[in-house]
Amino acid sequence: MMGRRIGLLLGAAVILILAVAASLAIGARPIPLDEVWAALFHPNGSETAVIVHDLRIPRTVVGLAVGPALAVAGLVMQALTRNPLAEPRILGISAGASTGVVLAIAVFGIGTLAGWIWFALLGALAAGAVVFTLGLRLGTGSSSPITLALTGAAVDACLGAVIYTLLSTSTRTFDQFRFWAVGSLSGRSLDLVVQAAPILLLGLVSAIAAARGLDGLALGDEVAVGLGHRIALVRTTAAIAAVTLTGAAVALAGPIAFVGLAVPHAARALSARFGTGTSHALLLPLSALLGGVLVLVADTVGRIIAPPGEIPAGVLTALVGAPLLVALTRRPRLVAA
Amino acid sequence: MKLRYAGWLVAAGAVLAGAMALSVSVGEADLPWSLALDLRLPRTALAAVSGALFGIGGALIQSVTRNPLASPDVIGVTQGAGLAAVIAVTAGLPYALVAPTALAGGLLAAAVAFLLGARSGFTANRFVLGGVAIAFALRAGIEITLTTADAIDAQRAQIWLLGSLNGLGWAEATPLAITLVVALPLLAMAAWALRTSALDDDTARGLGARPVGVRAAAGALGVVMAALATATVGAVDFVALVAPQTAQRLARTERPPIALAGVVGAALVVVADLVARRLLAPTQLPVGVVTAAIGGPFLIFLLLRARRA
Repeated sequence: MMGRRIGLLLGAAVILILAVAASLAIGARPIPLDEVWAALFHPNGSETAVIVHDLRIPRTVVGLAVGPALAVAGLVMQALTRNPLAEPRILGISAGASTGVVLAIAVFGIGTLAGWIWFALLGALAAGAVVFTLGLRLGTGSSSPITLALTGAAVDACLGAVIYTLLSTSTRTFDQFRFWAVGSLSGRSLDLVVQAAPILLLGLVSAIAAARGLDGLALGDEVAVGLGHRIALVRTTAAIAAVTLTGAAVALAGPIAFVGLAVPHAARALSARFGTGTSHALLLPLSALLGGVLVLVADTVGRIIAPPGEIPAGVLTALVGAPLLVALTRRPRLVAA
Repeated sequence: MKLRYAGWLVAAGAVLAGAMALSVSVGEADLPWSLALDLRLPRTALAAVSGALFGIGGALIQSVTRNPLASPDVIGVTQGAGLAAVIAVTAGLPYALVAPTALAGGLLAAAVAFLLGARSGFTANRFVLGGVAIAFALRAGIEITLTTADAIDAQRAQIWLLGSLNGLGWAEATPLAITLVVALPLLAMAAWALRTSALDDDTARGLGARPVGVRAAAGALGVVMAALATATVGAVDFVALVAPQTAQRLARTERPPIALAGVVGAALVVVADLVARRLLAPTQLPVGVVTAAIGGPFLIFLLLRARRA
């Protein structure tokens, strides 16, 4: 069991490394891997080195930050709500970030990504705080997961109305917003990742801390208490993880769809096929690795699929991932949260 | 329990009737009653009928999937209709063709979700997940179309996506009403059959029921209703989530009650359309925005009330 777990994780890691290599090498101008290698370690100011350093590395790093963050956030949300449909959008956190960005454009007249990131982050954190405090306080005991999910859906709908009202006031705001709202890795500088890094780190640490407790929650509240888990603590830690990871990821790359929903299911289905169980100690790193793969592959495909233009990663995550999810969930042994 | 349900059904019906009367009598100009009926009843009737279809469709889908978050937009119906409509709008098709195109798109998406679900016997989670995957892929298609279209076309398409009753009337309301009436006996059968499907599959089979067939039929009925409503008035899909949940919480039933969900949905859309027309008059808001703005807080209120009880 242990050996198979390590094998599964190693396999996923190898696929992620291949995805990183592809993301560095493939683009409007293909660069052979040996030249990528040379440019990485001996930057000589050539055009190739500039492309690799200024364009390919930043978006690969952004993908490596965003994909795992969304996937882990989705895994935590699905466990917390015990609902396989839970994801950043269902819990209103994406809508919070979007509201922040729309406010930045419409009210403060800010038109740059670097200016939007803090609005997105604040919006996501505020919405997440509202959903989780309200949802976790309203529902007690066995009603809590479903109350949390419904609160999220309600907040999402309200924020959607706010966003629409702001967008309908000007075509210019709508025009700027619609490109952000798709979600993309392009044009993000490494500075943005550095700014978001502490928040991502906080989220990841909270998720790891909550992992064992989430295993307990999956068995039901009474069993979890019997096993010695402190439910309120587990829920709070998990909520912090979900909100900070989603907030930082959405602030960096826009609300990239599908990753938070699909990757945890893919991880569960894979784990079921390899007979390695449903422990979050395994699902968490596995989801993180697969999340990175999905976002990087979607971004790389988007660069070459419609030359000379690009299709944003946020559009392709679903197109690339949907057939995969359908195939995986048709396996007989799928165990959903 | 039965009495409580009947009571709420009557109460919701009264609210619906009151809202419809108010919707007919209130407007931009003060009209004599007969003229107001002529001018405003068609739109009010459409609001009621489409709301009822959303509520019933949502209740069926939530019952079949046993998931309160499941709604037409989760299993791809809304996105299928939306993608077809957005393509129709941006390609400059005449307005009259947009709704039929949208209906075809919604039904096609639902058919694919059902074919995928059939292989797994419509066990709740797998059926939903197949639909979700399709919904996201179609959503991506909508986004590609919106980002490549010019801003004016894209904004028009966006308004359609949000749902609006502007300029619609009997021509749209009549087919929906006929569908609803024709479907009534089927709905009664579905409501009765779904009681057994709350049991696990083996127990239900032991009692002589056919759970997979019931789920498929009830789900298909729900999807068709939601697709019809979506194609006619646009993606007012929060109604399909909130109406069944409201009905279930009012009547304190195990599953979303179908008839009450229909009446609640109808009342919600009629009230929302009234607000959409009058709040910023003469500017008209899309009704989908208002259903979300009213339905969202109301759902939270119901959850608050449940905690106190």
